[in-house]
Amino acid sequence: MKIVIVGNGVAGVTCAMTARQRDPHAEITIVGGETDYFFSRTALMYSFMDRMTRRDLEPYERKAYAEQRIALRRDWVIDHHADAKTVHLSSGATLSYDKLVLALGATPNRFGWEGINDVKEGLVHFVSMQDLDACERLTPSTREAIVVGGGLIGIELVESLLHHGIKVTFLIREPYYWPVALGREEGDIVTEQLRAHGVDVRYMEEMKRIEVDAAGRVSGVLTNKGETIPCQMLGICVGVRPSIDRLKAFTDPPQLSRGVVVDETLQSSLPDVFACGDCAEIQPIEGRSYIEMIWYSAKRQGRHVAANLFGDQLRYAPPIFFNSSKFFEVEYTTVGEVMSLPEGTPTLFRKHPTKPLCQRILHNGDRVLGFNMLGSRWNHEILERWIRERRSPAWVVAQLADAQFDVEFGRANLASCIQRELPLAKELSR
Amino acid sequence: MIRRTAAGLFLHDLKNRGLSAWTLSLLLIAFYGILYFGQYYWTPDNPCTDNASCYSEGAVCEAGACLRESRIERGQDWLYRTATVHIDELGWKLGASVDAAARPDGTLARDENKNGLIDNWEHFGNRWTVYGMLYTLGILLGGAWICFKYRHNRYQIVRTGVVMMVQTSFAFSLPILLKFFHKPEYYFSYMWPLKIDYLDPRNFAYYGEGLVLWGFFASLAVVPVMTLLYGKRWYCSWVCGCGGLANTFGEPWRHLSNKSSNAWKFEKVAIYTVMGVAFFSTALWFASAVLPESSSLHAAATGTRKWYGLVVTASLSGAIGTGLYPLGGTRVWCRNFCPMAAFLGIIQKLGRFRIRVKKEMCISCGLCSKYCEMGIDVRSYAQAGLSFTRASCVGCGMCAEVCPRGVLRLENSAKVDPQDLSLVSFLDESWKGAASSVAAKI
Repeated sequence: MKIVIVGNGVAGVTCAMTARQRDPHAEITIVGGETDYFFSRTALMYSFMDRMTRRDLEPYERKAYAEQRIALRRDWVIDHHADAKTVHLSSGATLSYDKLVLALGATPNRFGWEGINDVKEGLVHFVSMQDLDACERLTPSTREAIVVGGGLIGIELVESLLHHGIKVTFLIREPYYWPVALGREEGDIVTEQLRAHGVDVRYMEEMKRIEVDAAGRVSGVLTNKGETIPCQMLGICVGVRPSIDRLKAFTDPPQLSRGVVVDETLQSSLPDVFACGDCAEIQPIEGRSYIEMIWYSAKRQGRHVAANLFGDQLRYAPPIFFNSSKFFEVEYTTVGEVMSLPEGTPTLFRKHPTKPLCQRILHNGDRVLGFNMLGSRWNHEILERWIRERRSPAWVVAQLADAQFDVEFGRANLASCIQRELPLAKELSR
Repeated sequence: MIRRTAAGLFLHDLKNRGLSAWTLSLLLIAFYGILYFGQYYWTPDNPCTDNASCYSEGAVCEAGACLRESRIERGQDWLYRTATVHIDELGWKLGASVDAAARPDGTLARDENKNGLIDNWEHFGNRWTVYGMLYTLGILLGGAWICFKYRHNRYQIVRTGVVMMVQTSFAFSLPILLKFFHKPEYYFSYMWPLKIDYLDPRNFAYYGEGLVLWGFFASLAVVPVMTLLYGKRWYCSWVCGCGGLANTFGEPWRHLSNKSSNAWKFEKVAIYTVMGVAFFSTALWFASAVLPESSSLHAAATGTRKWYGLVVTASLSGAIGTGLYPLGGTRVWCRNFCPMAAFLGIIQKLGRFRIRVKKEMCISCGLCSKYCEMGIDVRSYAQAGLSFTRASCVGCGMCAEVCPRGVLRLENSAKVDPQDLSLVSFLDESWKGAASSVAAKI
């Protein structure tokens, strides 16, 4: 069987490795145009901050691909013929397949800001290797930078720029940091961190116009407050969307909506064409379609699709949600539903009087629904189990220490956290 | 990307095998060379009347002293002599000043060997005192830096505090005190097979009954039991001086260890070879002491002593082990050659220690592998969601420290949820034990 996987990100490579486990004889080819080898996108900031080399970002030794007999092609797919079962590459080559997997990943969003079309230099995102190239090229000639967008990628870029001694202004449209995931209290803790590191954080400020100099390099940003902030580098981190633009020009594209539309078995509208990862828009039999755009789901979907290539017809269902992050020194773990719950959802909020340490436990009176934990380490497997087991909030609070995952001798002091009832409040700007 | 400031450029150079790293490495190796071999490698400028009275090869008599003929060789001689004699003299002065303060009657006698080096078991002032002091200073200054840098991580603070304490007491002050009171110089922080002399029958008379018994007990009882309970970390990154220096002074270079699978293959061959040699040598020494006089056995024992000391102790643990810090990372010795690490590693595989991995939470960033001083590809386990115990892991805890998603945790328990099930405890869930009862008090 010939398997062609488009995209050498985590979804594509996980799919290839899993398929190899399943079938020692399959002919597996990965086509990817971004880099020669799979790298960990999530670690771009550590390379930018000189904590790792680019080679260190590669999760597998290079010889692993040869050992697993996975052929890598540095190329872009530019066309697809469904009847002939072929894909055409920008180098002119044609690959035929028995099963095709689209693991195309995502592309940074750009909105129609005034002046964006005049920009020739100085504008960066922070999701691809080419973005890292651009960041490194611009850093030496940058004294002031502006980062737009208060999410995870935004704060990573801010931290990296600070490392290089650049003065950073952080423009965030929302009233506090990352309201889609954090409550106001957690957001405020992150804000304190940002300010303590010397970041000029501005909430409810949006970019209105991008100013450029004579050479076309970004020179400043006009905000909705009417102020022009000078900068030599502008980071735009306002989310990503499935990378499907290229597909629209194909002879036989699969059905597209926000992403590549797939059913619950991750199969697209075309026979033997599958999709997984950031580009897949999963349409369940009932209910709304969804796109999961995080590392963990890409890996999960990659594994899932590999099974279905061999006819398993497994239906994909996302497990209880979990995610984690680190805001400067403050670690964050979330499990279950948090900000997606309706306003007023009963919440136990526990906070240390002085330290950046808090736990938010959401429930419906009978059972816990979700956790937002900041400032210490938690075992999401246990928190997840408690949600699954429909544990009561009182029981969970009593057992909370069981789920701690801090280093030895360093267990966070939960006893000194003050607990109060704090029904969920939402302050989304729109 | 390198930070474009003077400090940033220099630190990058120093930490990433730049010119300053090579220079430092050469200096360290030269220092060890002088320390261990300096005395053998110069022509003593003993008094002479003519060329014939200079017995060293290629030496000529000039102005009443033997000197070598070629300028380069004279330069080498001068360098070795000056460096060694000066380091030795400095040690003497340090020792003598302590001694003079403590014993004003001046009981310190100065014995010198043919090269003019202080060579006396009875007192404590020589080049080894200087070395011990520099070593301790490296651990104390580096340790203070570690405690500051990782001040948010109690494991690092406690571990580093213990390493600093052990070094200052058992590995530096106590041996000096012992010598001061004319007792055998014994380092309680070292054990066989790392300190292979401690179980060499030749030295039993010098150490005396008590210490010999302790040596056996420590190596054959304390070490295995502690390692079964806590993993080899209790020794390699809490007690041992080699590990202590690596984890303090060596901090800037910990990431240089080679993570490739080939390096792992080399490690396995090299370290178990040294361990085999160490075990074999010890057996040979016992045989030569116990078995009836046999000249060939004695010759073999003497030969292994000499070569083990030269190759393993002086070269691999000293010059290569520490000298290569800036180029090969801090645990070249511990990872590839230390017989103690090999011995502990095997026991660790059978014991309770492991690195626990939270399932599915890894983002494959690779910081854990990068900052693993033992060159373990931690990421390969973390991204597969597999808890693991590797023989080489010294439990420094740095993978858990640098992990941006809190995926890793060092643990001593082989069981995830210790369960002591009875029907009642099953129903009321009291089996969840200690952690729950702490939480219940909140």
